[in-house]
Amino acid sequence: MEHRQIRVLLEEAEVQRRLGNHRGATELAQRALTIDPDHAQAHAALAAILLDARRLTGAGIEARTALALDANDPFIHRVAAAVLIAERKLDDAWAHCLIALEGPAPAPEAFVLAARVRALQGETAHARELLHEALAIDAAHVGALTQLARLELAGGERDEAARLIALALEADPVDPGAHLAAGTIDLARGDAVSAEHHARFVLGLDATDRDALVLWAAIQARRSWLLGAWWRWNMWMSQRDDRRQIALMIGAFVAVRIAVIVADALDLDGLSRVLSLSWLGLCAYTWVAPGMFRRMVARSLDRVRLDPDF
Amino acid sequence: MSYQIADEPVETSLRGYVVRPSMPLLATMVAGAWLAWPWFAFNAIAMGSPTRRKEIALCAAAFAGTAVLGAIVLALFDAGILPAGAPVQLAVLGVVAFKLAISYHISAVQSRTFHVYEYYGGPVRAAGRILGAAVLARGFVIGLVDHPLWIIIVAGGIPGGHAGLWGW
Repeated sequence: MEHRQIRVLLEEAEVQRRLGNHRGATELAQRALTIDPDHAQAHAALAAILLDARRLTGAGIEARTALALDANDPFIHRVAAAVLIAERKLDDAWAHCLIALEGPAPAPEAFVLAARVRALQGETAHARELLHEALAIDAAHVGALTQLARLELAGGERDEAARLIALALEADPVDPGAHLAAGTIDLARGDAVSAEHHARFVLGLDATDRDALVLWAAIQARRSWLLGAWWRWNMWMSQRDDRRQIALMIGAFVAVRIAVIVADALDLDGLSRVLSLSWLGLCAYTWVAPGMFRRMVARSLDRVRLDPDF
Repeated sequence: MSYQIADEPVETSLRGYVVRPSMPLLATMVAGAWLAWPWFAFNAIAMGSPTRRKEIALCAAAFAGTAVLGAIVLALFDAGILPAGAPVQLAVLGVVAFKLAISYHISAVQSRTFHVYEYYGGPVRAAGRILGAAVLARGFVIGLVDHPLWIIIVAGGIPGGHAGLWGW
């Protein structure tokens, strides 16, 4: 009886997760774990929900708990790999992908996840192979087609990327991931109007979808060179973990200060002043730009929300 | 009793005083460590952060680490190994880099809980006035003790924050 109740709660949690209702999904998984705190799949399901909600600390703890309770379930290894990818621990993620790929009939999702790891490790040829293996199991697998399209885009093959994403959208016309990839490809091809259409579609499904907001912001960033520069810098930094971000910022600060101290020691007052003022200007810009950019994006989103067709 | 997720903050009576972790971080730069690190520790407690022990330990380590590094710089200077001028300024810059790095790290750790705290509708207080008052009080605090080690520990990370040191 309890097991059936847990299964129903987890199924409903998964539905809510797919709808972007992270809080509702979290509460359902919590209810399942209140009934049985040692239910490995419930911990894994909660980890997947927390990962979607960008709660990496909680997701990591739940994934490790699930693994400690059941180290043989491929689903749990897939969730653990996804969490580790988000933490940029790619070697550990790959180890879990290998376990998820073991067995007589691995799920296409396991190949897609493994391809993500290999792509992030720079092994794009292997990533392509894995995605083709997923497509050999299911030729219309939207996740595999979408990721293959993103790989082609990264390799500069925009037309091939567009062809693949069209296949993905044909297989599932409402898949948010496929729409976001289609928007990214359109933006790369210079078609901001079509990109905006795809972003709007996903925002219509879930107005808080992080990736849709990122795409939307990327489209808006094209409209202002000054704020676009901050956006590109921000995106470049966000691909790095906390430690690298801190090291980069402190490194830049120390380099400028060393240059100022050396310029002062050599009586190069002009250079010292230029360096100090440039640094001050950069600090002011990085302090002010995020707020201005957020206001610009919020205004554009308000226009969308007020649109009667939305 | 519902299952408690490990990253969820617990309820405290000090929730009305929680600020964004970027505020104590900014205080490190414009006001000084004398305010920033105790503020980080208080914020961790007020938020009911599940990592508050780690955050408080990091604040204590920041003070201790800065004191040790500062004492080493002063000892090298007193022994004549570190000449006055650019060499001593570069050495103090190393200490400043340590202070900023550990402050960024505390901020990153605290931000993880803060996002969850904010997600569940926790109140957040604006801290502009506190920062403004702290900038004004900075000179007074730095002048409380007439010793270079005190300046190294409590001063901020901005250029000129250690101005009192260069005359020494």
